[in-house]
Amino acid sequence: MPTVFEEKKKEKILVNRVPLVERTIMTPLTSFAVSPEGIRFETQEKEEKVVLFLRQHLVVLLGPTLLVILLALSPVLLFPFLLQFLTLPIDVPIQYVVVGTAFWYVVTFGYALMSFLRWFFNIYVVTDKRIVDIDFLHLLYKEFSEARLERIQDINFKSGGIFAAFFDYGDAYVQTAAEMPNIEFVAVPQPAKVVETISDLLEKQKISS
Amino acid sequence: MNGDITNIIFILFKFLILFGFGLYIVFASVILRQEQLMAQVLEESFEPVLRFASILHLIAAIAVFLLALLIL
Repeated sequence: MPTVFEEKKKEKILVNRVPLVERTIMTPLTSFAVSPEGIRFETQEKEEKVVLFLRQHLVVLLGPTLLVILLALSPVLLFPFLLQFLTLPIDVPIQYVVVGTAFWYVVTFGYALMSFLRWFFNIYVVTDKRIVDIDFLHLLYKEFSEARLERIQDINFKSGGIFAAFFDYGDAYVQTAAEMPNIEFVAVPQPAKVVETISDLLEKQKISS
Repeated sequence: MNGDITNIIFILFKFLILFGFGLYIVFASVILRQEQLMAQVLEESFEPVLRFASILHLIAAIAVFLLALLIL
């Protein structure tokens, strides 16, 4: 006859054994998603399931966001202030001021768009079969690398600095067989969880094979 | 005489501005094309918003070029 305490202990163990089924609902700013729905990537096989979907931590967008705010406020606040101390040799016609300001805002919008696109399409996907790294490095430059789970030799992560510690992000490294390129997840949220998830997948792979 | 030189400088300046704005239109078109290509790599529900933003950016670049052509 088990005691009350033993019963409780048993329950706890059983609860811990139940696999945690998390599903992340995707939003445009999602940077860490477990088994996301409504996502498909190029070369994804029919029966292949996305286990983890990652982008760089949102904190990487902080710099471009601040710059965009500064650029947007410059024609209204910064330029009139600077012009008080500058004397131009000629009077700039008002048409040039209008066109210059309009162009300034178009360029600011373009910079914001480019920064967001670069972040949005720079993705890391962990599926039940492989790890995929799709990089949108520059305009017209795309890099696609993948590593099959059975080819993975080692995984580790590195997280350092005040920001990384505060916002819980870091770099995860996936080392593959010598002839394959290593995959680097740069500035991803919760790197420890990423490594843990990949390790679990590798273990499952080993057991099934 | 001085006015003629100023006028010539402004005309040259206008052509330079139009050339720069023309290059920017090419850049905006490249962003749109790149967005289309990346959308094939990753299919996501938010993609139409990005497509719209890229088209809006291209339209804005063309509009500023036309504005410069008309009023400068």
